[in-house]
Amino acid sequence: MAKKPQLAIDTRPWRDSANNKPFVRIRNVTKKFGDVSAVHDVSLDIYRSELFCLLGGSGSGKSTLLRMLAGFETPTSGIIEIDGQDMTDVPPYNRPVNMMFQSYALFPHMSVEQNIAYGLKRDHLPKAEIDARVAELLALVKLQDYGKRKPHQLSGGQRQRVALARALAKRPKLLLLDEPLGALDKKLREETQFELVKIQEQLGVTFIVVTHDQEEAMTLATRIGVMNQGEIAMIGEPTDIYEFPNSRFVAGFIGSVNMVEGTVTEDEPDHVRIRSAELGCDIYVGHGVDCAPDQILWWAIRPEKMALSREKPENPFNANVTTGIVEEIAYLGDISVYQVALESGKRIRVSQTNNVRGNPDAITWDEQVFVTWDDNAGSVLTV
Amino acid sequence: MLRRGWFLPIAAVLGFAFLYAPIVSLVLFSFNENRLVTVWTGFSLKWYGELFRDPQMINAAILSLQIAAIAATIALVLGTLAAVALVRFRRFRGRTLFSGMVSAPLVMPDVITGLSLLLLFVAMESMLGWPQGRGILTIVIAHATFCTAYVCVVVQSRLSDFDRSLEEAAMDLGASPVRTFFDITLPIIAPALVSGWLLGFTLSLDDLVIASFVSGPGSSTLPMVIFSKVRLGVSPDVNALATIIIGIVAIGVLIATIIQLRARPKKARA
Repeated sequence: MAKKPQLAIDTRPWRDSANNKPFVRIRNVTKKFGDVSAVHDVSLDIYRSELFCLLGGSGSGKSTLLRMLAGFETPTSGIIEIDGQDMTDVPPYNRPVNMMFQSYALFPHMSVEQNIAYGLKRDHLPKAEIDARVAELLALVKLQDYGKRKPHQLSGGQRQRVALARALAKRPKLLLLDEPLGALDKKLREETQFELVKIQEQLGVTFIVVTHDQEEAMTLATRIGVMNQGEIAMIGEPTDIYEFPNSRFVAGFIGSVNMVEGTVTEDEPDHVRIRSAELGCDIYVGHGVDCAPDQILWWAIRPEKMALSREKPENPFNANVTTGIVEEIAYLGDISVYQVALESGKRIRVSQTNNVRGNPDAITWDEQVFVTWDDNAGSVLTV
Repeated sequence: MLRRGWFLPIAAVLGFAFLYAPIVSLVLFSFNENRLVTVWTGFSLKWYGELFRDPQMINAAILSLQIAAIAATIALVLGTLAAVALVRFRRFRGRTLFSGMVSAPLVMPDVITGLSLLLLFVAMESMLGWPQGRGILTIVIAHATFCTAYVCVVVQSRLSDFDRSLEEAAMDLGASPVRTFFDITLPIIAPALVSGWLLGFTLSLDDLVIASFVSGPGSSTLPMVIFSKVRLGVSPDVNALATIIIGIVAIGVLIATIIQLRARPKKARA
């Protein structure tokens, strides 16, 4: 697993947006293709040296947003500013931005060196300087011996690195990466994630990565912008997105989740009680929630935040314990995922760490079990 | 499933014989010493010598080559533009009509094409005063017209496999659209352009029917001269000429095929 850039609190400029100037400002950007809005009223601030991930399914508008940053599409309305300059109508060849394409888009008729040098030649740099820069980049991506090869003589991983080197050649202020690891197999992907983060930290370039792979986003990003149907559903650090989703969409999109509907029965400043027929018990939430009595809302909890037991556990609040029958078990090695059928017919998933080797006493199929959770383990969602 | 047996080999031999026996006999008899085309008396190159001493033949050959080269070049430009329009602009008003009209000359009988062009040229001359009479210019226009369709088909297939992000990558790296075209687009579609040009060149060189309609006095192309000569009786120097033309066409087609083949696997792997 790749290491996330380890930033001290004071190097997280988005936490203090009053005193920090964003590097990329996207203001109310909308892009329409005919009558369809691919991107709808998106506003986003990205800070210098961030590795920002735009995460979304296909058709969520993440690629269109990236293409607008690169200059291949012009916004129907709104403003894009990079480093304080309005870039909205600047053509791609005049932007201080480079892009790494999903298909890599290596020029097939040029060698690796020529591919990397292409952007530098367009800047009319002296030949000696170009050669030095190309050598430096080949070393950065560990392809020193491959400079004379043509793209079709390289493996997928090597092509990916050439594409990265080419995109970095002009020392862009901002690098856009469209599904940078999408075409690699799982193992190579994990290694490459690591390298990508290392290169990003080393050069201090601002990265904006588009991906549909949530695991990739979680490992790479300093912050993630989750996109849904052309709009930003949530912006936050990976932990915020996973642990404190702001909507049912985000909760369901990232990781797996159990979601139930419930009615507020007690609404106090320090706790909330929700009655859920689906769950077959009350949910006691140990903090105040912005809601009203009798309001219908949703409660979401991650499978690993619940515990299974054969005996009925204590429940001081007369809540947060339900019971059901184990229907399915998925053994994944490190963890097992149990699917428990509750009395209401609702199925929930609970994952447990397999911390005893070959446990003979493990909970098994068709057993009656109790499911319990902490009073702060779930998220209360109103949208 | 067919059993492996005598049927397939014999069918293949008959098929090839049907296609190539006339050509082989023509080539063989071009080296015949006898004046009678059908009687073999011995090997000789004298008809080739005779051919090169015949100014009518030589002039017609030069004219045909010139027309073919010019028509193929015009067709290359127009056909490429049409292909770009069809591939790059997926939706525009009248796209289906345009696409149909561009490829119509592929299936149009030559007689119809020739006749309609003749009528057009006559009408234009009487209304606009241009083109004056019929001759080299009208043949070039006529040939460029139908060659455009072939070039368009060839270039279109190449362009539709073309990864647009290559051009975007070039622009992203600071190349203007014009620069991108010459640095990236042109080298990648070059094989299709070469084979399109060669195809146009060969087709123009071949054409008898359309040229007969739109040519005028003093502008007889090679096929026209041969045709008129043969009507007076087949003379062996026509065989010699035909052999040379077959040689040129075969080499042209071979080059076009090789270029296309060498371009394919590269792209498939890249």
